[in-house]
Amino acid sequence: MPLLGGSVAVNYAIGQRILRLAAAGRQRPARRWLVAGVAANLGLLGWFKYADFLLGTLAPGAAPLGIVLPLGISFFTFQQIMFLVDSAQGERTDSGLLPYACFVTFFPHLIAGPIVRPREIIPQFMARGVGIPCADNLSVGLTLFLLGLAKKLVLADGFAPLADVGFNAAAHGETLTLVEAWYAVLAYALQIYFDFSGYSDMAIGLARMLNVRFPLNFNSPYQARNISDFWQRWHITLSRFLRDYLYIPLGGSRCGAMRRTGNLMATMLLGGLWHGAGWCFVLWGGLHGLYLIIHHAARRAGVRVPGGRALTLLAVIVAWVPFRAATLEATLAMLRGMAGLNGLALPQMIVGAMPALAAIATPLPVLRFLGDARTLSFPEASALLALGWGIALLLPNVHAFSERARSLTLVGGFAFTLQALFFAPKVAPFLYFQF
Amino acid sequence: MRSLAGACLASLVLYGALFGAVLDRPLALGFLAQQIEARLARAGAVESPKLVILAGSNGAYSHRCETIEPIVGRPCVNGGIAVGIGLDYLFARWQAVLRPGDAVYLPMEEAQYVRSRSATETGPDAAIMLRHDRATLASLPDRWAGAFFAFDLRALLMSLIERALVTGGFHDPRAAVTGTSNAWGDHVGHTPTLGAASQPVLATMTPQHPSAAQVRDGYGTALIARFLRWARAHGVVAIGGWPTGFADAPLPEDEVAAIRAVYAATGAGFLELPNRSRYPRAAFFDTPDHLSEPWQIAHSVALAAALELALARSTATARTD
Repeated sequence: MPLLGGSVAVNYAIGQRILRLAAAGRQRPARRWLVAGVAANLGLLGWFKYADFLLGTLAPGAAPLGIVLPLGISFFTFQQIMFLVDSAQGERTDSGLLPYACFVTFFPHLIAGPIVRPREIIPQFMARGVGIPCADNLSVGLTLFLLGLAKKLVLADGFAPLADVGFNAAAHGETLTLVEAWYAVLAYALQIYFDFSGYSDMAIGLARMLNVRFPLNFNSPYQARNISDFWQRWHITLSRFLRDYLYIPLGGSRCGAMRRTGNLMATMLLGGLWHGAGWCFVLWGGLHGLYLIIHHAARRAGVRVPGGRALTLLAVIVAWVPFRAATLEATLAMLRGMAGLNGLALPQMIVGAMPALAAIATPLPVLRFLGDARTLSFPEASALLALGWGIALLLPNVHAFSERARSLTLVGGFAFTLQALFFAPKVAPFLYFQF
Repeated sequence: MRSLAGACLASLVLYGALFGAVLDRPLALGFLAQQIEARLARAGAVESPKLVILAGSNGAYSHRCETIEPIVGRPCVNGGIAVGIGLDYLFARWQAVLRPGDAVYLPMEEAQYVRSRSATETGPDAAIMLRHDRATLASLPDRWAGAFFAFDLRALLMSLIERALVTGGFHDPRAAVTGTSNAWGDHVGHTPTLGAASQPVLATMTPQHPSAAQVRDGYGTALIARFLRWARAHGVVAIGGWPTGFADAPLPEDEVAAIRAVYAATGAGFLELPNRSRYPRAAFFDTPDHLSEPWQIAHSVALAAALELALARSTATARTD
């Protein structure tokens, strides 16, 4: 609380200073204050989030500092950098401390976003009627909240054990066969999507109940036509921040092909590092940077890649491996399994039902790293993944649902949500809380 | 708001109707239910005084009534099914078939003492009760909510899959992989050959022991103590015992004392073999709770001799009283 309160007060003071200087036409001192403010925010984030990572990289073997990451710092730091930049660019008016503090600390988005622009939200806090119950907004907001909660508790937490078994095995140096590795990665891709988009829907719903509208954060990203389209659908508010407050200030695509390539890669590497202090996150960002560079090069050359949707999905799924794996070694172990280098094993019951499979697969009573390794784990995991991918690939997102479709979805999911909320053996925390 | 409330209510009604009356899991839960009913049927059919072994799967895999029965000279029923079966459900079912003079041997797994209330409420018996055994459910009001909400998305999918498998003539491979049950309720056929694949895992496994405080405060401990009081009040002889486990991973002494105290507090006996039911890792089938068949028989022979003495003592005490 003191950190958050202090950060809000200092940033507001700097923002006001920048605004006054910019309004008076004193661009150079305004810019100096902007640089100082952004540096202070990044310094604070860097200390809490990256000090141990840097220490471990520069001085391997040194005792870690054991710094505890304050909840939501990655998100409220970006919010405040936006405020400072918008102040320097004259894209906001003086709103007073209270609306600004509300903008940063508004509870639905404080911990894990969406990352919203000051000009999108502060005017809403200053408008009449904010927080006063409105039946329509209450109803729509509560519906979105419940649908988001269902995504998290019923779907994301349902896929978590499948993903955890495979990735934990890889982290412990176990050998995963083709099906075990792919099932774990496919489950994680669904877990993180339903977890984070569920959280975003809950945040949007909560804000709506208080008559505040947040921008959309996920728009069926696994239905993307290409990797650029994916980033316009996945964590949209972060993509927007990285584009407007990093990529474009770095020069964007205005300074030639080489510079554009470098800017793109730098943006994605930093985007990866923002998610966590570790080389696996850097690798994830680097892979997406590479995908985007290849995509832009292909587009400029007029090359049309057949099966772009499937290729994009495959690329995104492969990139989730380092994002989830505990180490680079575990990443390689998982990729080896996915490439089939550890062979293909299938449950005896499947090979027995389809004897032709015996030619390519080793029959085993159970697959050790598939779900809870029971006789029926394979059909159970297969059905669960089929359902999850069916939802992710075939249905529109809940914001595009008609009112009737939302009601029907609630009829199907509300009881399962209550079941998971009160009777599930364990509830996993939101994945993005760790970032 | 009214349509929102209506949708939520409709969801609960649909969920209750589906899982209460339509969907079922004939392979997973049907198998467990059939095992429970077969053992209870035998217990109801044999004459008293009888000996009943109650535990989790340790009861079935590591103890053999077929071996114990001729040594102790009374009918024996192995009521051990699975560690996940709620103890309140287990005891409620067995109380109905226990008569004065019967004896119950309880080599409960450590996990059964410390199993939480929430885990107990949503164990497989919750689904079995809601779908097939509402009489027992009616007698356990604490379990009503848990039984209603015992079904997650996986349960929905697996109900459909298991129904399809059964309809399609699915051959259940479990017997070929782990063995099967005999008429006494013992697990049989879990030979060292079948268990060979698990030996590398057993060799490196590190068993976790609960603390003495966890045992003392455990929800399972409270349920066991309640059953022991019931047994005493109804003339049923209850005798505690150790579950099987690795010889190189003995129970900590404070945990040993905590478990003994559960039985001592209600005046129940506690039977200890010289080895405290600990065996080398190579003696186990697939977990530290499951001896392989030859060791199951050897353990049962040693146990039967000790049980015979303990039962004779308790009978003499009862006559004196």
